[in-house]
Amino acid sequence: MAFVLTFLIRRLAQGVVIVLLVTFLIFTLLRVIPGDPVRIMLGPATTQAVVEARAQELGLRDSIPEQFVRYIAKAVQGDFGESYFIGETGIALTAQNVVGGKGQDTATEQREAKMTRAGVLKVIADGLPYTLMLAGMGLLFTLLMAVPLGIAAGLNQEKWQDRLAFFIGSVFISLPNFWLALVLILLITARAGLLPSIGYKGFGYVILPAIVLAVELAPIIIRGLSMSIAQALQAGYVSGGIVRGLPWRQIIVRHVLRNSSIPMLNLFGVQIGGLLLGGVFVTEFVFDYPGVGRSTVQAVLQRDFPVIQGVAILAASILVLANIMVDLASTFIDRRLKF
Amino acid sequence: MAAETGTSSPARGRGESVTRRMFRLAWEMTSFKIGLGVFTLLVGAAIIWPELSPYDPMKISVRERFLPPIFLEGGTWAHLAGTDQLGRDLFVRSLVGLRNGLGIAAAAVAIMFVIGCALGVISGYWGRWVDIILMRITDAQLSIPVIVLAITILSVSRPNPFTVTAVLVLAGWPIYARVVRSIALAEREREYVRGAKILGASDLRIATLMISPNILPPIAFVAVLDIARMMIFEALFGFLGIGIQPPTPTFGNIIADGYKYLVNSWWIPTMPGVFLILTLISINLMGASLERARNKLFKGIV
Repeated sequence: MAFVLTFLIRRLAQGVVIVLLVTFLIFTLLRVIPGDPVRIMLGPATTQAVVEARAQELGLRDSIPEQFVRYIAKAVQGDFGESYFIGETGIALTAQNVVGGKGQDTATEQREAKMTRAGVLKVIADGLPYTLMLAGMGLLFTLLMAVPLGIAAGLNQEKWQDRLAFFIGSVFISLPNFWLALVLILLITARAGLLPSIGYKGFGYVILPAIVLAVELAPIIIRGLSMSIAQALQAGYVSGGIVRGLPWRQIIVRHVLRNSSIPMLNLFGVQIGGLLLGGVFVTEFVFDYPGVGRSTVQAVLQRDFPVIQGVAILAASILVLANIMVDLASTFIDRRLKF
Repeated sequence: MAAETGTSSPARGRGESVTRRMFRLAWEMTSFKIGLGVFTLLVGAAIIWPELSPYDPMKISVRERFLPPIFLEGGTWAHLAGTDQLGRDLFVRSLVGLRNGLGIAAAAVAIMFVIGCALGVISGYWGRWVDIILMRITDAQLSIPVIVLAITILSVSRPNPFTVTAVLVLAGWPIYARVVRSIALAEREREYVRGAKILGASDLRIATLMISPNILPPIAFVAVLDIARMMIFEALFGFLGIGIQPPTPTFGNIIADGYKYLVNSWWIPTMPGVFLILTLISINLMGASLERARNKLFKGIV
């Protein structure tokens, strides 16, 4: 098993490089693009001097490489900074909350009291369980929908199953997730009253967003699965199995499905991972679902640098880890693949 | 992406180029014809109708607010898709939105196609350190969710068609670079390239005149499908308020503005979506047919 270890070490090292690169890209992008978070934080009524002082305090006026090194040095110790806008109690720190209006003394006091900003890790940790539940349910629905259809289509090329899969795939991939979300809210929640949505007050609130995710992901799996099964059916071992007199069922289950699962796993690493992340952001935003995605969309709109960076690192790490796990899993299914 | 690498043995030498044969095969499929028909109809309407129609897509008409579409009670022939909260004709607005969305998506795909293919050929044909650096950059780029990238860039400056297109190009080019790289890697080792080298052809000549023509068949369908994908992104940006700004109609901002009226005047946020989806389905049908045609040509399977 030593080669598994060297494989893991090599891939993890590559992964760290990618995550660093992503962090640096986002980090630079955030700072190069005009738009001052301190200005948004303190509101338009604050004088330039106060804004400048606060920016100095937050270290936003140092050079970008300097800021980046400082950030990374803290991040490896598990300190991802604090949100600029979200308070410890989860209440948004608005300009009014942070800088009081008239009495300067009470204002300062108020500011001290409310300036305990929430750590980025806390913001992420608060939303993560909801997001994981949504992503998990979404994936479950996707597989329930796509796997039977994909296998049926792959085994019955040019028959009605194949045409059905082609049709469903083409329609599903054409449904924009935010529009589908609106229509489901209208039909299922508002008109029929079958399922709740908007916000989160119980498990029922996960189902509609998860369906939206599943509709977005299913076409890719249906297409990938039917293509790789059709391809596997052409392989020599199928006719070999027939000649050896193996039952058709056994050829399909043991050989065809097993061989066609490897391209599927690769699909999961790159495409599904990316789509799932993007889809979670949008569905959480439209359904006002309290996960990491909603916080991120809000963070970006407010230019809450620490939160955006934290989420970017998290997202990139998840994708990198997913890819490593996929490669590892494929080598266990197919021993011929090199680590 | 792994599936794109096995493009080494297309049947050749029957006079007609692989690209032409792929398009002919696709043309023979019903799904391609349906897609093309619907697409032509919609695009034709989008080009012609806003010019002929008596309604200005941005003109507010207080007396005609919240008119339902033709198939509902109270609908009129004058406003086929109804009117919105400001009395603007939704049919005309949707068609102008289609113009904007499709224009941006097509431009973005064209640009990312050129950039991605150029970088992919360089990466795959010359290899070495260029290859390593470019591939790491694509890895990093693909690890950033498009939405985060888009909101980061577009939420700051007032978004316009150029910035929206730029973001889409930034998000989309790595896929082309990677697919084309794998093709160039495979082609580099083939006899015709060695033969050309022996005859004294330069690297530039080999890359542009001999390897580049092989790129189109495996990637044409990716580009067609990407037009639909980019239209969805453009609409999504509009919906999030970071696309082209109102009053210029785009699918996204019509839906975002109409969201408030979802329960009582549901056609305002949903009708533009119907036009968008019809366009997307037609494009996806054409793209998927091309993909099937390619698979038939390259692997001898359906």
